[in-house]
Amino acid sequence: MDALNYFAMSWLSPELLGLTALGTFLGIYVGAIPGLSVTMAVSILISFTFSWDVNYALCLMVGVYMGGVYGGSRTAILLNIPGAPSAIATALDGYPLAKKGLAGEAIGLSTVMSVVGGFVGIIVLALAAPTVSEFAITFQPRDYMMLGVLGIMLVGSLSGSSLARGIFAGALGLLIGTVGLDPMTAEERFTYGVVELWDGINPVAVMIGMFGISEALHQLHHMNKAVVKQKISRIIPKWSDVKKYMPLSLQTSFIGVIVGALPGTGGDIAALMAYDHAKRVTKKPKVPFGEGAKEGLIAPEAANNAAVGGAYIPMLTLGIPGDAVTAVFIGALFIHGLNPGPLLLVEQPHMFWFTVGNLTLANIFVLIFGLTGIKLFSKIVECPKGVLIPLIFLLSIVGAYAINNAVTDIWWMLAFGVFGYFMRLYAFPVGPVILGVILSSLTDENWRRAILSERGSVSDLFINLFHSPLSTVLFSVIVLILFTQSPIWTKWLRAKIFRPSH
Amino acid sequence: MSSQSPLIKTRKPGERLFCFLLVMGSTYLFWQAYNISGLSSLSSPGAFPLASAAVMVLASCVAFLNTLKSPAAEGVRFVYHCFPPVVAIIMALILVYSIVLDSLGFILSSFAFLFISIQFLYRRSVLTTLTITLLSLIVVYIVFRLVFQVVLPEGIVPEREILSAIESFVEIVILWML
Repeated sequence: MDALNYFAMSWLSPELLGLTALGTFLGIYVGAIPGLSVTMAVSILISFTFSWDVNYALCLMVGVYMGGVYGGSRTAILLNIPGAPSAIATALDGYPLAKKGLAGEAIGLSTVMSVVGGFVGIIVLALAAPTVSEFAITFQPRDYMMLGVLGIMLVGSLSGSSLARGIFAGALGLLIGTVGLDPMTAEERFTYGVVELWDGINPVAVMIGMFGISEALHQLHHMNKAVVKQKISRIIPKWSDVKKYMPLSLQTSFIGVIVGALPGTGGDIAALMAYDHAKRVTKKPKVPFGEGAKEGLIAPEAANNAAVGGAYIPMLTLGIPGDAVTAVFIGALFIHGLNPGPLLLVEQPHMFWFTVGNLTLANIFVLIFGLTGIKLFSKIVECPKGVLIPLIFLLSIVGAYAINNAVTDIWWMLAFGVFGYFMRLYAFPVGPVILGVILSSLTDENWRRAILSERGSVSDLFINLFHSPLSTVLFSVIVLILFTQSPIWTKWLRAKIFRPSH
Repeated sequence: MSSQSPLIKTRKPGERLFCFLLVMGSTYLFWQAYNISGLSSLSSPGAFPLASAAVMVLASCVAFLNTLKSPAAEGVRFVYHCFPPVVAIIMALILVYSIVLDSLGFILSSFAFLFISIQFLYRRSVLTTLTITLLSLIVVYIVFRLVFQVVLPEGIVPEREILSAIESFVEIVILWML
């Protein structure tokens, strides 16, 4: 009964309801406008909302997250520019549909299927999280340490051009996270005697720099891209279409939840995998894929919204973020005094059910805003970059200042912004840096706990690791990733593949 | 997923230097991490930073060695493709903005920053830019300062006095109308 009370909390309070609606509305536009990303928006929002009551802040941010994942699809359909990485697969068939004059129908159908996906994700979250959390209580410190390392490695290997660059970015993040007084012994680390550094570098400043400033600086490269407008017809989808594609949408929703729940993979990969799945199971599409097949539109849209619920599972039960957006989200939870991890569901079950209820509410708002306001939408999306980019800089700087009312945070943010610009330029992924900063203290503390519990002996740690099936699996996966990404493996593979052809 | 690497990786101008600087920086951080508590024990405060820095040194070395092997990308110029003047100018503007933000205050410095950067990037008539700047500044001010109650630097503009003057003026008007 209690759970239901907490679940309905954001539905019954007018302020919370209003903030969720506002967040979802903002999220749709943030996701839709190329050049704005959910990661960027949530990083900036943290700085503005951290003095708020935690429920208010969460409502706004959950709304932005849910709306943002959906919003990317609109620009993908209308302009062939995915507003967010999770909408890359949507553009493949969405834009051809729009070119045929079916933009309205495509938007309507993608909205309904996004919402279906969203609900599947939330239901799985509500059912699976308590079980995962119970299992997670049995985790040893070494398992946490390995989970942290695994998350960073997966994001590093999937998001960049090479594993070395991804690992570099992750390690840099871990190092940034250690600056300040050591939480266990209060020894100074990288402080150079500066008292201001005792509290460490504020992760929000790093986030805004890496995702706000550096992203906006990159946008300056593509200032003069012409935009092709599409006509929008009826937007409420046909009931027969919804019924016909429901099985496919449910299948791809489950792909989305699972991919979303794995560490290191988020909505973008879920959407691409779902697109691939749709291609395989649709034997005779009415229209070939890539030329406006509705199956190719529905599959990624259902999957990327389902991935949101999936991503919440490791985030709330283990405290491990799956990708950059969830890393930023975990940062927000920490700042509001919540401790995402296995004890969250035991100590603060209300927070869990509140989040589930809030996600459901945000999903309903996606449906409402998704099927209305299309005229206003096409106006806002045309907002010229020459105006948009200066505003992003303004909000980033004010946001960094607002964290502690200190100019120091602005300097950190700018430094990371410029560094992030060059990292992006030379194909170093920035996501793992944020993941590293967020996971740094967790990994550090659990490493030390693990080694202390073995009385400082590495060989004991190593031997005991193989006594636990979970630790063995985690360790093998880490070794496997390292091995399969190394040049020795690729050389061996190439030799093996090319030999028969000779 | 954002970048699909071509079959033969090429390197952008400045990439080799950037990777080299990363190697140097990582080595420096490694040395700094070593100075925290040396190699005294595996659970010391310095152990984890030392391990992270070691990974950074290794990974940056691999990245640097790879740039030595890869051929330079053809037709890509640093000044044009990697660090165009527009990026440099905007960076400088942001720098100036953050320096004067505290002393001049949010309103004046943001107005100047928005006006100059929008004029520079959007290139419309001065009047258009002025309207956009004023409108967006008013919206940002209302949303963040008044609704979200975010503390913004006041600087030389006596903001609180103006706000309370407006408040009392509105009160007088309401009383008068009643």
